[in-house]
Amino acid sequence: MPYLFVAPNMLIFLTFIIWPAIRGFQISFFDSMDGRTFTPVGTGNYRAIFSDPTIAEVAKNTAIYVIFYVIISTVLSIAFALIINEQQFAKGFFRAILFLPVMLSPVVVGLIWNDVLDRKVGPLNSLLEALGGGSPGWLVEPTLGMIAVIFVGVWVHLGFYSIILLAGLQGIDRSLLEAAAMDGATRLQIIRTIILPLLKPTTLVILILATIHGFQSFDFIYTLTGGGPFGATTLIVQYIYDRAFQTPIQYGLGSAAGVILFMIIFAFTALNFLVGKKRQAI
Amino acid sequence: MSNRHDLLGEVTKSMKIKKLRSKIAIAASLVLSAGLVATGLPSAQAAGLQPTAKQLAEWKGKTISYYFYNDSQAELDTTKKQIAAFEKLTGATVKLDVIPFTNYDPTLQARLAAGNAPDVARLNNPGLYIKDSLDLEKYLGRKYKNEFLKGSTLQVTHPTTKKLIGVPYDLTVNGPFINVDMFKKAGVAVPTSWNWAELIAAGKKVQKATGSEYAFAIDKTGHRVSTVMSHFGAYMVDKNQRNVLPTSKFRAEKAVKMITDLYIADLAPRDLWIGTGTKYSSPTAIFLGQQTPIFFSGNWQVASLAKDAKFDFAAVPNPKELNGGGWPGGKFLTAFNTSKTPDLAAYFVYYLADAPQMEQMDKDAFWLPVRVDLVAQGVKYATRSSDMAVFQADAARTPAAAYGIQSVPTLTGLIYNNLRDLMTDIMGGKITAKEAIAKQIAFIDTQLATLKK
Repeated sequence: MPYLFVAPNMLIFLTFIIWPAIRGFQISFFDSMDGRTFTPVGTGNYRAIFSDPTIAEVAKNTAIYVIFYVIISTVLSIAFALIINEQQFAKGFFRAILFLPVMLSPVVVGLIWNDVLDRKVGPLNSLLEALGGGSPGWLVEPTLGMIAVIFVGVWVHLGFYSIILLAGLQGIDRSLLEAAAMDGATRLQIIRTIILPLLKPTTLVILILATIHGFQSFDFIYTLTGGGPFGATTLIVQYIYDRAFQTPIQYGLGSAAGVILFMIIFAFTALNFLVGKKRQAI
Repeated sequence: MSNRHDLLGEVTKSMKIKKLRSKIAIAASLVLSAGLVATGLPSAQAAGLQPTAKQLAEWKGKTISYYFYNDSQAELDTTKKQIAAFEKLTGATVKLDVIPFTNYDPTLQARLAAGNAPDVARLNNPGLYIKDSLDLEKYLGRKYKNEFLKGSTLQVTHPTTKKLIGVPYDLTVNGPFINVDMFKKAGVAVPTSWNWAELIAAGKKVQKATGSEYAFAIDKTGHRVSTVMSHFGAYMVDKNQRNVLPTSKFRAEKAVKMITDLYIADLAPRDLWIGTGTKYSSPTAIFLGQQTPIFFSGNWQVASLAKDAKFDFAAVPNPKELNGGGWPGGKFLTAFNTSKTPDLAAYFVYYLADAPQMEQMDKDAFWLPVRVDLVAQGVKYATRSSDMAVFQADAARTPAAAYGIQSVPTLTGLIYNNLRDLMTDIMGGKITAKEAIAKQIAFIDTQLATLKK
């Protein structure tokens, strides 16, 4: 009987997640320019990826993006969750404001920030110029381009992570915090020694989610920078997209890159999970 | 080359003998009209192909999908009207899928791979779909291709079977637009002829006088840059599918350096070119926002500029160096061989490309005609006729060598995109113009070698 209840969900999961994943793995050993005729190439696609001169740059970009994105979004979401948790008035309003970017379409996010970050007529540079800060080329300088996409990535997901952490915070027994306060613990001590350790399981979820989101980032980056300037914001998913859907179409190569991405995400998620579990046991 | 030259030749010749052909066309239309009155057939069927009663019975209630993108609202509005008329005529339903141009080909290719091909599509790169296109001659006859300018059917002729696998839908010509108000404010005369040095000088002068952000902007595509190269006498592929860039590499370097220098000097919108990665982008919004007095694009922009520009603008002649004129392009209609109702799909292509519909679209959306009869009689544009006359004149001035690259329809997109990306690298100081052209020569060689495999 329980299997019957989960059957509809499982059917959707198998059809739209598992089956395409298996097909993707299978296609990664073929060469196909049209998705209908397949020529077996063995591990040729994997070898082609690792000998592609652009893959090192893409891997470096992805690593930089994921590291900074995960650290910044985790730290900031904890900070915002703590602030909102302590908020006495208009708590719902601030929560809604924080969550607003999550509800925006990634394409819209990319377009909005593309306008905001425009070097000559963007409002950000107008403000910076008024303050005597010059006109940084956010979308034309490689380093600034990477900073811009990390910032926008964090901006998009911050509300989502903060809400999850807020739920975790509200699950902490208030009596523990009150007892610590009565014993003379400062606000910082309470956060460091009680709240953060108790928030570890939720933080682990955030770390895993942020890592996955970081590796999968594509849509808003594609709209914001198109992977530029000079390929500085081309991450692994855009690499897959370009191989699979831009001429000359190479579905096999795109699938092989997808398999590699899956293995990387799987390894990081497993590592996060194992480290978190080990620490919890200690 | 003669085939491509034919297109230009036909345009030029047709202008000269326009009056004579007009008389013939009027006489022919009188005969046709008499026939129509007698038979009571709708005008769409007048040109020859008429669905049989059996076909009409079979088509009734059937649905076909039309994969479409539009450069202007006028194109979409007219298409919708024509679809409504087609549905009334045939009893079939046409599902219009309007797709943004930026992801047009990737989306269509994904649909084809997924077995979800549309029945009919408007294409600007038909070479990508040669294997998937329906042999239109089977449904529309071998002589049907003669209804179109000879050169314009090359890109929709199957490379081996030589059968017609699509029809030309319009002829596009690249060229510059200027903001007349800004030119007037700066005291710069509207050019009737100029070279590139004069164009850049005028742009700088207007920029200085009006305080605009830029002096010049060009669509971010190798297709548009090829126009500039053509002005300097540089070409990439000839009609015999040969790499001819080595023979004009110094001219190509000059053209590419001139454009990239404008971006490096911040006289052109660097953010739009560099900051959009490997995507196509057009500075239309920058021109509409009066941030640049000169915008290099093509005639397909006339309709949207006429609708959205809050200032007086004009199409002006292409600059002339060794050559003048524009750079050819166009859109095509193709039916797919996976269609469940191929005869209906073919008839829909025929209907849209038939003289009455094509003339209406040419007028509404400021397209240049590709039908022999419309070229002969001339299209009378209700507004912006002076702009269209500029493009028509530039079409006639376009060198025959500019059509050479159309001999490799499956490679044109790749060659143009590589040129675009190399220009990005020049702007970023990663390579010089000389190195870029050397890389482009090597790239074209590699691509042409794939044709022989």
